[in-house]
Amino acid sequence: MSIIKKIVTFKPSFNLRVIVGLISVVGFLAACAITGFSDLTKALGEQDAKYTARAIEAGAKVYFDQCARCHGADGKGIEGQGPALSSVTFLGKKEGKIEVQKSQRLLDIQWVGNLDGYIRAVTASGIPLKSSNQWEVTHPAFGQAYGGNLRDDQINDVSTFILNWSQAPATAGIIDSPKPGAAFTPKATAVPLTPEQEAGKTAFLKNGCNACHAIKGVAQGNIGPNLSTFGTTAATRFTEADYKTSQGKAATADEYIHESIINPQAFVVAKCPQGACPSGVMPPTFGKTIAEGDLKNLVSYLASLK
Amino acid sequence: MAIIGKRLVNQVKTTGFKATVAQRADDVFQRMTTGLSWDDVRGILRGDPPPKPNPRVKPHTESFWFHIRPTFYHEATTTLYPTFRLGLLSALFFAIEIITGIYLMIFYTPSPERAYSSMIDILTNVPFGMFVRDLHRLGAEVMVVVVTLHMMRTFITGSYKKPRQFTWLTGVVLLMMTLGLSFSGYLLPWDQLAFWAVTIGTSMADAAPGVGPTVNLLLRGAPDIGAGGLLRFYLLHVVLLPFIGIVFLAVHYYKVVRWGLSLPPDMEAVGEDSARKVSPDKRVNFLPDIATNEIMYIAIAMAILAISCATWYRAPLETHSNPLVTPNHTVAPWYFYWLQGLLKIPHIIPFLPGDLANGLDKFSANVLGITPKVLWGIVVGPLVFVLLAVVPYIDPNPSRRYGQRKIMLTLGGLFTILILYLSLAGIPTGVPVTGFGFVGGAPPSEIGQEFMPDEGEGELMKIPFDQMIVGDYQVSADPGVADAPELNAIIKTLYYDMQHRMSTADPNGRKLSQDTVATVKIVEIQPDLKQITLDIKYTDDLTGAAQDFTKFKFIHKNSEH
Ligand code: HEC
Ligand code: HEC
Ligand code: HEM
Repeated sequence: MSIIKKIVTFKPSFNLRVIVGLISVVGFLAACAITGFSDLTKALGEQDAKYTARAIEAGAKVYFDQCARCHGADGKGIEGQGPALSSVTFLGKKEGKIEVQKSQRLLDIQWVGNLDGYIRAVTASGIPLKSSNQWEVTHPAFGQAYGGNLRDDQINDVSTFILNWSQAPATAGIIDSPKPGAAFTPKATAVPLTPEQEAGKTAFLKNGCNACHAIKGVAQGNIGPNLSTFGTTAATRFTEADYKTSQGKAATADEYIHESIINPQAFVVAKCPQGACPSGVMPPTFGKTIAEGDLKNLVSYLASLK
Repeated sequence: MAIIGKRLVNQVKTTGFKATVAQRADDVFQRMTTGLSWDDVRGILRGDPPPKPNPRVKPHTESFWFHIRPTFYHEATTTLYPTFRLGLLSALFFAIEIITGIYLMIFYTPSPERAYSSMIDILTNVPFGMFVRDLHRLGAEVMVVVVTLHMMRTFITGSYKKPRQFTWLTGVVLLMMTLGLSFSGYLLPWDQLAFWAVTIGTSMADAAPGVGPTVNLLLRGAPDIGAGGLLRFYLLHVVLLPFIGIVFLAVHYYKVVRWGLSLPPDMEAVGEDSARKVSPDKRVNFLPDIATNEIMYIAIAMAILAISCATWYRAPLETHSNPLVTPNHTVAPWYFYWLQGLLKIPHIIPFLPGDLANGLDKFSANVLGITPKVLWGIVVGPLVFVLLAVVPYIDPNPSRRYGQRKIMLTLGGLFTILILYLSLAGIPTGVPVTGFGFVGGAPPSEIGQEFMPDEGEGELMKIPFDQMIVGDYQVSADPGVADAPELNAIIKTLYYDMQHRMSTADPNGRKLSQDTVATVKIVEIQPDLKQITLDIKYTDDLTGAAQDFTKFKFIHKNSEH
């Protein structure tokens, strides 16, 4: 008790006050000086590295949520869906902070800004014109200002993440964007559509099939199967074992296509872009809503997709 | 000019050059010290006793800053007890907050697009930026503690009694201002921590009957916290609350000086206030005694604060706020844990059976038409401050002596214990041992929270980067990762944590199923960037269905998690 009393009634002498006060002031100033000195020399740089690292982590999350489905988990691109973003052509190469190789892509398209700016611009606003018929899709506009769902900081982060590949860019197994100009040469094998098939294409769009199905250069739906090469699929589908055990009754390719449209439940396809195909999602009413002639044209159009 | 010159020349002629310079210099000096000569100041600095008549009282009549302070204190109030310098320190921290706050204001923009990036800018580009931010944050938290302790000491010494009731009342306003400042500042970094803590805080207000939604709308500026809410919190934080603080601090301190510092209770007769009747032999002059004393305490406090911020203390900054992702276990700031605890009544009352608690919930919802959450959090929560405010007016006991205030001191003690208990119950893990107030999900998601939380530190993230060896690891007692001892150790910890959750039920009565298997998978994504995935396959204890829980994190070499 008396020790506590001693402490609480303690009154430092004048000299003690001055000494303790001075020591504390020196301590305070030293803390400030040390902080200031390390800020001027290295601390700010370390902080910068730390928060860049955190931006990369956050960017990785955005990339895997939003971009990987078209550009690939390894950034090497996916056939028909999106070009490589981790390739040396796109990124150039960096060693530490020094750029040892320039981005060939930026030179090709004559972009005047830097790569970070290009990536952020494409991500935020999309690519308004499809630059090549190699792609089945046009670029989504992800920025909130353009109707997308990514905030500015997320776009900055994903760009930081992509640029981090430039320490060791991919050189093999990549699908780069075609050079501008080279892009629009029509394919040699492309066969022009007959008038019936043209009408079928119109019916495809008019009846909203494009909301769920993708056809290269025509539609971008991603709920039902991609129909870009459906003619080839249909030619053999009705002979396959799992079709024969289903309720399907088709004996020719055209019958199979016809049946797929008016009675989608007869045979439910296995794979859709978002995993296993959902049964009962494709409306079973097209047999009634589409006129007989249109239906014929539609079948002929879909059969031509090879 | 010519006239001054003439006088100067005359003075030099009559008294000589040296004496003239000395006289003029002293003149200027006395103007700055409001009446103290160089010799007086020297005497003060050396601790000499004052000459008679004492020239050191002159500044108290002549200058602004000194006239605020009393010329002398009673000897008995100059020791550590009874004030413990807590009022002084409260004022000091308020000043520190204002100064550091102004520095931060220079670099901060209160808009959702810019707020977080201005924080990053402060941390990575502004000299002293991180230091000043740490000072501001640590200072704010310490200020809450110091102000609360100051209140407790004025309660314990009975200093709120006549004639100091109004001093106490203004003090309660200052307490609310302090909490309000801390809370409004919490949102400004615009990270996940800020966003969700404040969302929780303001949604408490939302639940209040009648005015709740309006208050909430006023605070947030929109149904959800966004640009409007951020700007309003910013304005509260830098304009309205500091303004209230400065005004009330002025009144508070005016009252303190007006009535004098209360003496230790046993030194005066019951019901009497003798603080202003100090006999000359008991007087301690402000200059130099009190002044040096205060300067010493201020210097100590600032040194501790600055050294802390230069060494161990780092103000947190989580990832950018995201209204679409609620991190697990979001909490209000710690000084509002007790409010969160209140919201869990009646489920945190010891020895109250769970069924009865649920029954009470239903009873109040159906019969009284008001949920316990609203009742306790919204009606009772603010009542705490009303209760504090009226303490001096309802305490009928005129005596300040400890021995004669047993009831009030006991009530004060119980109140403190209650607040501490509610605070414990308010955190998501609840009260230790009993687990009252525990809010947790299924056991696997609790494991995920512990080892890989959405925000902040987790065990798996502490593995040194070079030991995050790419591969799949079965979680077992002996993972056998020889070349990565830390990875090995943490997987082991994870294993024992799972064993524990299999054998002992959590406070909700939930256990991890016996057939649970977990794997930790490490993949390299980029140079210096890895992804850690925790995968737990288990049978759900409620539904009996086989479940798969996965959670992953990206870890960069430099991110210092
Ligand atoms: C629906 C598929 C798809 C998604 C999702 C997608 N992209 Fe793309 N991306 C493309 C296609 C297709 C192109 C090429 C378009 C063109 O050149 O016309 C492209 C091109 C780019 C380019 C320019 C590449 C070059 O070589 O010029 C960048 C940068 C890019 N995307 C970034 C992103 C980012 C970042 C995301 C995620 C936020 C993303 N993309 C998501 C399909 C996609
Ligand atoms: C609401 C979305 C939706 C719409 C609209 C839709 N489909 Fe489908 N479609 C699906 C789904 C899902 C499947 C896969 C499941 C199944 O086979 O039933 C599918 C399957 C198909 C198949 C079989 C594909 C194969 O690989 O065997 C064809 C052909 C087809 N749809 C054509 C059409 C046509 C033509 C239209 C427009 C008249 C259309 N779909 C409209 C969702 C849709
Ligand atoms: C920002 C917050 C506050 C500041 C800056 C502050 C400042 C001060 C100062 C400088 C004193 C002089 C005596 C001392 O150092 O103890 C004082 C006294 C006092 N304060 Fe505060 N105070 C604050 C909050 C409070 C609170 C929350 C209460 C109580 C609810 C309170 C009640 C009192 C009382 C009753 C006295 C008179 C003590 C006496 O005469 O012994 N104050 N205050």
